[in-house]
Amino acid sequence: MDQKQRSSFTYPPRNNSPKESFNPNYDYPQFNSQNRTESPYTPSQFFNSQAREWDPHALLSNLSFLEQKIHQMQNIVREMIRTNEGQNCNTSELTAQRQLLTTDLTSTIIQLISTAGSFLPTIRTSLLSGNAPIPQLGSSILSASSAPSPSAYQPNPSPDYEELTKGWGENVVESAGQIQIEDLDVKEGEDVGQDGDTLPIGSYEVLQLEKEEILAPHTHFCTICGKGFKRDANLRMHMRGHGDEYKSPAALAKPAREPGSQPIPVKRYSCPFVGCKRNKEHKNFQPLKTLLCVKNHYKRSHCEKSYTCSRCNTKKFSVLADLKTHEKHCGRDKWLCSCGTTFSRKDKLFGHVALFQGHTPALPSDEVKGKNEEINDKDDSGGVGYNDGDEYLDMKGGYFSPMVNFDSFSFEGLDEFSRTTFDPTENSFSFLRSGSPDFARKDPGN
Amino acid sequence: MCDITAVLTVDLLAQVLDWLHDSRDLKSCRLVSRAFLQAERMHRRAIRPLRLGPLPVLLRRYVGSLQSLDLSSCPSLDDSALSLSIPCPNNLRSVSLSRATGVTWRGLEVLASVCPRIEAIDISHCVGFGDREAAAVAKACWLKELRIDKCLNVTDVGLAKVAVGCSRLEKLGIKWCFEISEIGIDLLVKKCLELRELDISYLKVGNESLRSIASLSKLEDLALVGCEYIDDEGLYFLSNGNCSLQSIDISRCENVTSVGLTTLAEGQQRLRKINAGNCSPVLTSTFVSKLCTLGDTLIILKLDKLQLLASALEIVGKNCRNLLEIGLSKCNGVNDEGISWLVEGCTNLSTIDLTCCLLVTDKSLLSIAACCRGVKCLWLESCVLISEKGLDQIASCCMDLKEIDLTDCNVNDNALKCLSRCSELLVLKIGLCSGVSDIGLSFIGTNCSKLLELDLYRCTAITDDGLAAISNGCKRLKKLNLCYCNQISDTGLAHLQLEELSDLELRGMVRITSSGITAMAMGCRSLTQLDLKRCYSIDDAGMWALAQYTENLRQLTISYCTVTGLGLCHILGSLRCLQDVKMVHLSWVSIEGFELALRASCGKLKKVKLLGKLQDVLSSELLQTLQARGCRIRWVNKPLVFKG
Repeated sequence: MDQKQRSSFTYPPRNNSPKESFNPNYDYPQFNSQNRTESPYTPSQFFNSQAREWDPHALLSNLSFLEQKIHQMQNIVREMIRTNEGQNCNTSELTAQRQLLTTDLTSTIIQLISTAGSFLPTIRTSLLSGNAPIPQLGSSILSASSAPSPSAYQPNPSPDYEELTKGWGENVVESAGQIQIEDLDVKEGEDVGQDGDTLPIGSYEVLQLEKEEILAPHTHFCTICGKGFKRDANLRMHMRGHGDEYKSPAALAKPAREPGSQPIPVKRYSCPFVGCKRNKEHKNFQPLKTLLCVKNHYKRSHCEKSYTCSRCNTKKFSVLADLKTHEKHCGRDKWLCSCGTTFSRKDKLFGHVALFQGHTPALPSDEVKGKNEEINDKDDSGGVGYNDGDEYLDMKGGYFSPMVNFDSFSFEGLDEFSRTTFDPTENSFSFLRSGSPDFARKDPGN
Repeated sequence: MCDITAVLTVDLLAQVLDWLHDSRDLKSCRLVSRAFLQAERMHRRAIRPLRLGPLPVLLRRYVGSLQSLDLSSCPSLDDSALSLSIPCPNNLRSVSLSRATGVTWRGLEVLASVCPRIEAIDISHCVGFGDREAAAVAKACWLKELRIDKCLNVTDVGLAKVAVGCSRLEKLGIKWCFEISEIGIDLLVKKCLELRELDISYLKVGNESLRSIASLSKLEDLALVGCEYIDDEGLYFLSNGNCSLQSIDISRCENVTSVGLTTLAEGQQRLRKINAGNCSPVLTSTFVSKLCTLGDTLIILKLDKLQLLASALEIVGKNCRNLLEIGLSKCNGVNDEGISWLVEGCTNLSTIDLTCCLLVTDKSLLSIAACCRGVKCLWLESCVLISEKGLDQIASCCMDLKEIDLTDCNVNDNALKCLSRCSELLVLKIGLCSGVSDIGLSFIGTNCSKLLELDLYRCTAITDDGLAAISNGCKRLKKLNLCYCNQISDTGLAHLQLEELSDLELRGMVRITSSGITAMAMGCRSLTQLDLKRCYSIDDAGMWALAQYTENLRQLTISYCTVTGLGLCHILGSLRCLQDVKMVHLSWVSIEGFELALRASCGKLKKVKLLGKLQDVLSSELLQTLQARGCRIRWVNKPLVFKG
């Protein structure tokens, strides 16, 4: 079972994803689609080795190469113009030329970017795009980004490219995320810092589970029969049925931490939903404290509310416990606000009234006026009721800890992941990638 | 005959009118000429009609200039009458509907919508008012001043309506709104940041409320009378709050001790008025010594019923040199020594309350006379040790004396002779002084012509002659108390020809009959309050006379009189201003008599006191109608006992 868990949380080794590159000494080839898949993109060892460290000589040679290339393209265009004027249009030839031009332009752009990337010292190594295979843990962002799989035209795996790939992939996402984040900021700006969590950024590890994992009903599975459990303790009880070897006190005991191991780093969790304040890419990222918090937060904030109160038929919840809490006092809400919101306690109503301009407690027989218009005001804070839910659960986190056993794992992959911070200089390039679908599709080869 | 307006323009006349405060003087002014009437019309900003009848005429006359309308004295004021009596809505700034129990929330809503710029509303003592009425008032969003004292059904919800609707409120009174809790106060403080004056007397709120109130940065005046759940901790919050209080009234807060008062005096350095009367009785010297830090700013200090030592008064005298008013009523420790130290320092004192300071003797009066020449009010009730010697000094030194209370002080005619030298005297109370006789009253009658109020309660030595002397000398009397002066007969009463008399108490004067009442009623046309309880000889004839002559009578007590149903019917039916009638033990009135009389008065009465036995025999429909029109009935169960 531990194995199972481990595999799901460990960052898997990356496939060495092929990357784009170009050979600075590359001469414009004959137009031949077959050729292109091989020769034009053969990566130059020279360039690759320079990717990390900036080398002025390399830069110069790259630039002259680009210059050369631009001249070539100019020539093609002139050729096209000449052909047009000559009126002896060979349609197929023209099409071929256009294709050639498109390909060339694209590759020039990429090369330009590469050059710039190697030049700008603020950029860590990552520049070129591409996609590492989606890691099980933590990179659903990438999958969401619709980044094309570069492996299609990148036959040459190289560790450096892996870096580049990742960087680009994230850039794309980040730029998209950035827009959303700014949207959200407007709304959420107020409650920044409400959290009691005062850990300085960087003093903890940030983990991010995938949506599927968060929503999985069970996290502990029997290695023999495959049955799932919510708690490890329950699984251990279950295992007794599979044989005497599971009945020993050692097997039944809570897996202990290895003594003398490294002090366990503080862990915090990030919500996989990009743009959410609990997502680590958010400007005012507020991490979640425990797995349970992650689950409840994700369900409450980003899932459909599928549990409906059977008594009032209006209140909906995505966390079953919330429904149960509500059902305890449903029907006893006698404190009504002019906006239509009901409260079971007077002080809660008055707190609400104090918060929102223009709301007043409604008199018993008052008609609920403007319910629809005003309800929007409070919608955002519809969270209000649950905003503190995460904290509330944090306190109970202790219950949960036996199951959260991944303290002992190391998250190399995630580490890197979490280190990747958004850098505006990179962002300026990222649009190219997302904005040039042609490029993505250009190479059907492989 | 030359036109006076050629000399005195309307503007000038208006300036003259600024100096006239008495309604009677204004009336004489109006009657001079059309020009004067015009000037008065333009000058007048406020009216307080006694009846609804003449209101339309008045409103037409003053349309345009009227800013303030006081309808609190109008009987039978209901929603429709209210909506008709709102003149020139754009100018109207202030409306008083105190005790207007016939008005409902609909009327208030109309008022709030018709007068969008109204700034002050008073609906105090409308005991039936609740959240709905408060919500209606809250629609007047420019409101700066609101009194909802004793609107018994107002809860936190009503207060929240007001707090949200009237965020510009500067003055708010919610005294006796028992249903309001800390939650409501908290919301009020969050929404009404402009509050300067707040009265939460007798509310059942605790220290937390004071914690939130303390955050009101503009608060200057806070009344916490009788807040039993407030203690020293609350005062600690106040002293450390944002507000800079100028006046605080914490009288009758039983749980407040001198520790709290000390912290308050430390934190609030701008306090000008402190009323700490009837708090916990022990007052340590630390509080008094803290008062020195307030020093010169303090002008009013009331320490009623606290145990004060002479040394404490010495500290006050040395430090609070600008003190204008001091209240030491029922302070056991106050003696001549303390008073002399006090007045030596506080030479500006104009009001000194020594009620029930039993140790005070003539020496105190001598030191007051020596140091505080400007004293205007001197309250000496039950200071049994004082005599004419001290009063003589007071009368000769304090020529400004306007009010003196000598109730139960055993003063005699000589003392009155001395006091009569104070020609500025306005209020004289010599109740329970059996030594006062006609001779003393004749001095008063001759010299104190400005007297407005005279209390002769149980001055049993007084006869008709004394009353005649007073009636002839003090023509401006407004209040006269002759209760239990049982030597006075109809002859004496006939001397009462006091045009301005509004308040007359004749309780227990067994000798007077209806003929005396008739003579009195013809002379005192302005009567608004009359107490005839236990005047056993008064019958229907007296009622007829009252119904005919005292049109403005608002409050009447006729318990134990020998009135029959007919008389009762007549008086209740004809007096148009009557609002409050106490008619217990009217043995000559039948059930039908009561029924008819109450029906005749229906709509006007706001308060009725009846014998409890009648509760079951009067028709329930009548009682319901009365209550629906805003009338409160008090049922009393007292045995019928004749006292002479």
